[in-house]
Amino acid sequence: MGEAPAGSPVRSERTGDVAVVYAGDYLNKLSGERIERVCRERLREGCRALVVDFNETSMVNSIGVSILLGVIDAAERTSARLVFAGASGQAAQLFQLLGLTRHVTLAPDKQTALKLLSEFTDAGAANH
Amino acid sequence: MATDATQPGSGFRRILGRLTPENFVGRSDDLRALTDLALPAHETRGLIMLAAPAAGVSELLRQAYDRLFRQRGGATPIYFAWSRQDQTTATAVRRFLHTFLTQLVAHRRDDPALVHAPPPLRDLIDLAAPQDYEWIERLIEIFERTRDGQDERALVRLCLSAPHAAAARGARTVLLFDDVQQVEHLRGEAELGAEIAHAAAHAEVPFVLAGLRRRLLDVLNGGQSPHRFESFDTWHVEHLNDAEARTLVERLAFTHNVVVNEETRDLIVQQFAASPFYLSLFVQAAQREASALTSFLDCQQLYVDELFGGRIHRRLNAILEEIAPELSERRALIRLLQELAQSGNNKSPAEAWRKRLDVEPDELFRLLTGLHGHELASFNATYVELSTDTVWRDYLRASYRLQVAAEPRALVVAETLVETLKRAPQTMARHYRRETALGLRDLLARFNYQRVAASLLHADRFARMYRGTDPEEIALGLDAETDLIRLPQIVHVASAASFHPPILQVCDEERCAVAHGFDATPYTDANEIVWLAAEIEAKHEAGRAITEVWCDRLAQLAHSCHFKRVRLLLVASEGFSAEASELMNEREVFSSTRQQLELLTARLSPEQVEEQKAAAPDEFEMVIPMGGDAELIAAHTAEQIARRLEFQPEAINQIKTAVVEACINAAEYSLSPERKIYQRYRLESDKLIITVSSRGVLLPASANAAPTGDETNGRRGWGLKLIRDLMDEVEFERVDDGTRLRMTKYLRR
Repeated sequence: MGEAPAGSPVRSERTGDVAVVYAGDYLNKLSGERIERVCRERLREGCRALVVDFNETSMVNSIGVSILLGVIDAAERTSARLVFAGASGQAAQLFQLLGLTRHVTLAPDKQTALKLLSEFTDAGAANH
Repeated sequence: MATDATQPGSGFRRILGRLTPENFVGRSDDLRALTDLALPAHETRGLIMLAAPAAGVSELLRQAYDRLFRQRGGATPIYFAWSRQDQTTATAVRRFLHTFLTQLVAHRRDDPALVHAPPPLRDLIDLAAPQDYEWIERLIEIFERTRDGQDERALVRLCLSAPHAAAARGARTVLLFDDVQQVEHLRGEAELGAEIAHAAAHAEVPFVLAGLRRRLLDVLNGGQSPHRFESFDTWHVEHLNDAEARTLVERLAFTHNVVVNEETRDLIVQQFAASPFYLSLFVQAAQREASALTSFLDCQQLYVDELFGGRIHRRLNAILEEIAPELSERRALIRLLQELAQSGNNKSPAEAWRKRLDVEPDELFRLLTGLHGHELASFNATYVELSTDTVWRDYLRASYRLQVAAEPRALVVAETLVETLKRAPQTMARHYRRETALGLRDLLARFNYQRVAASLLHADRFARMYRGTDPEEIALGLDAETDLIRLPQIVHVASAASFHPPILQVCDEERCAVAHGFDATPYTDANEIVWLAAEIEAKHEAGRAITEVWCDRLAQLAHSCHFKRVRLLLVASEGFSAEASELMNEREVFSSTRQQLELLTARLSPEQVEEQKAAAPDEFEMVIPMGGDAELIAAHTAEQIARRLEFQPEAINQIKTAVVEACINAAEYSLSPERKIYQRYRLESDKLIITVSSRGVLLPASANAAPTGDETNGRRGWGLKLIRDLMDEVEFERVDDGTRLRMTKYLRR
């Protein structure tokens, strides 16, 4: 179910413990902060996994990427899994160049990301 | 005028130069020709420097002087400007000797201050270097004896032989003689021009003899044969080209804190016909008047001030006074000249001038030679033709109205300002039209019996064969054509207006050309042919009516000029209608489009086309506001441009990222009042150079260096580091009014 918190054009949806946050066309300071805020809200709500979907993102700048590092930190602190999905072209290139790929799992698209996470959450449930 | 020898930024002492070397633009070849004369093994004995009026030859010689003076241990430069102010030959040569010895001693002592404050002649003996003391003292003694005698010729020869005498004692000099044509105004028994020529030709030291190109040789030859200059090179000093002139204006404006913009800079260059003399004078006047030159009105107000009471006025006044010292004669001359200007013909018989001025033939000859020498008019035995120089025409009109018609000054000033303002857009339009002309004269001049595809000279055939075809296929098609036309050998080409001035009423000078040549060897009447080519201005295909008008016009031109065998070529950028083509085929008139002419040019001189391509790379400029995600627009533009050069997709992404980061950097790290980011994209064959700049000041955190990437826990300020990783070459610099980032990406296929 898609939803956007009040005052934020960032779309997100939640299925159980997994939330999907959709990045827009351009990831810059403002849109990065909006994504960060939504991600933190989802984590506070108890989500154990996040997918940030970059399928619609054609351009990313370094400030936007630096803010994503904050999302990674937040996810790590809550032991939540984080997957960046659908990043291609310039965005993927920049993620790699700035070392994000060392800290976060990349998936070619949202479906693959969700599949990866379902394995993780299933495994996590089995461990409990 | 004394120089500001210690002006900041000049980097060294200026002695005679009035411009700093950085502001002395477009004369490197001329300077080298002059300074090379000082080389011990140089073969040329000297230079005859034929200068266009207001081409800045005096400054060129002064700059050469300064440069030679700095070369310690080399030949001593001697700059001397001949002047009618000396009045007599004896005074002039005495002043020369004094100048010669002063500058020699100054150079030997490395004391440039002496040049501006020459001590009395005898004091120079005490100041002379030990090795020079004896011969200088001896020379001065002989000079004093000769001066007090009655033999002017002996005095002239003694003074002019000083360089030779110095060289014999090991003091080698380079003589830079300026304004040599002025010696014809000096009174005396000796023919000074011929004496200078004699001295220059026989001394074992190099001489530069510079002066107005229309007078210099006559003055030097003194009516004798010119064989004495066999070991001299002839050097022409013209106005700058437009690009050099624009650079000169920019640099002078910067130096003198005068604000200009591109529009006013270009207008100034055009109005002064790229004359370095006038351009320097004008920018200096703007500084003196504290005038910004940011609008056409600013420019024309200052121009009119200069025309009515400034240095432009004084210069042209002085020339007219030199030509016609008597006021009544000068007024009569101004009246005649202005009437000629208004006649629309520009030309009148010299005999009519004699009657109107009521002067003897000798006096008329002197007046007309004076006008001719300064290129205010051309005097060719029987006719006088007025120059079309804008500044001169403006001065003439103003002088006529004030001095002859006695109109109120305020009225004349106001109307002149209004007229010059109305003219300014026309001046620029004329410039743009000239720049965009197809270059018919250059093309015709390259004709030399080559065989080219016939379709290149038949617009209809070319359209049938190649419309919608790729350039590569067109090239292959042209190579394969079997129907070829043998071009003539063109031996002379000129504007049609040079043959038939009325044609200027219907087309620009650049757009109609007459080329004389032969369509086969040997050079006989039967093989003689004249090509008449014209460029028809039409936004779309030229129709039959306009084509017919031009065919008739060129035929009429041929008839008026009594050309026997002619070939007509009409060019229309977008080609011709079917009816027009039919007409031209009937009349056997060649036709081309712009594309055909470019192809023809490429075939006739491929090297030059390549050079032009290399010299004129594609450039794009864009200005975006800071903020509002405008960097995305820049990124999209960068992508389109990178695609043109066929960069690989990965490289295109790198370029886009670099551009976005550069824009963010510019916005984040500068206090820019205008909030604009300037971008320039320069495409070269193997690389793309992107320059991103902004006005303002760097924020304190980065005031001493470019942002390095260690801000905010390493998570901000990545921009420049990223750019360095993504691009092949990156230069970040603080410029006069902000910052500039230059990024280069090489093409790897």
